[in-house]
Amino acid sequence: MNSVAWPTSRLTGLLHCARLGWAWALANVGSAESCDPHSATGDRADVEESRHGDPDAYRRLVERHQDHVARILWRFSRDRAVHEELVQDVFVEAYLSLHTYREQAPFSHWLARIATRVGYRFWKDRAKQKEAEPFSLAEWDQIAEDGDAIQSLEANQAAELLHRLLDQLPPRDRLVLMLRYLEGCNVEETARRTGWTKTMVKVQALRARDKLKKLVERSGMELT
Amino acid sequence: MNWEDQIRMLATRAQAETPPRVDVAPEVLRVLASGQADPLTVGERLWIWLAAGASAVAIPAMAVAISVYNASAGPLREIMNSISWAI
Repeated sequence: MNSVAWPTSRLTGLLHCARLGWAWALANVGSAESCDPHSATGDRADVEESRHGDPDAYRRLVERHQDHVARILWRFSRDRAVHEELVQDVFVEAYLSLHTYREQAPFSHWLARIATRVGYRFWKDRAKQKEAEPFSLAEWDQIAEDGDAIQSLEANQAAELLHRLLDQLPPRDRLVLMLRYLEGCNVEETARRTGWTKTMVKVQALRARDKLKKLVERSGMELT
Repeated sequence: MNWEDQIRMLATRAQAETPPRVDVAPEVLRVLASGQADPLTVGERLWIWLAAGASAVAIPAMAVAISVYNASAGPLREIMNSISWAI
């Protein structure tokens, strides 16, 4: 790995910061997130060595954190090929923004924010291209009628159903609800993950919740 | 149980899901080493700054020019009309 010449000299500069500006903003946020229990031990040295162009150090970081990032991005895409590509994008983008990481927050938190941004960007890009697909809430209706039905669902069935439900909402609404329900983030944590203000998170969460309520109350109908 | 409790229960079940394992380290290092993910070159950055600077100057200049034209077009036309006999 050491024989590979890394383009480190090209990875600095003001424009680069502008291009990846969100990562900059996110890097400066500093406290722990209860929705991400990942340990940060051993990262500091590897981050420092990666900044100096050591590919082995960055490989160690990727290997240490890829499961955590994969878990986050599995909520954004359940297509395995897309999912893997998104995970790759996160680590490429993280490397390119590594000089903005201030080490005030654990590396895993910093990565979680980049992963959220990459996933959200994927949703937004897809929303622009996506044709409205007919969606049946029949499965939800069954569950809504029988309270115990949820408990009998396999974890992946529950995740798939929730994914399809939230997929009916615009990306912003979906993001805030995904962080709230699936990641268990509170307002402050959601604000950190998204880069939004707390007020914006609260307003967005309220609107998104209303839309989800309308959606599930329309269940039984074919949605387009 | 209301709809939100049901959603929360569904989410709790979904949280137990194990995502597929990935090993992206080789591909990430390959992309970084190949330079495919390089940020913009110095030349490209220069052009972008130049374009941004030109736009920053041109847009206010155009706004000023339009307001000046609007303010002066009427009087100029009147002067032209009043001396049209001489042209």
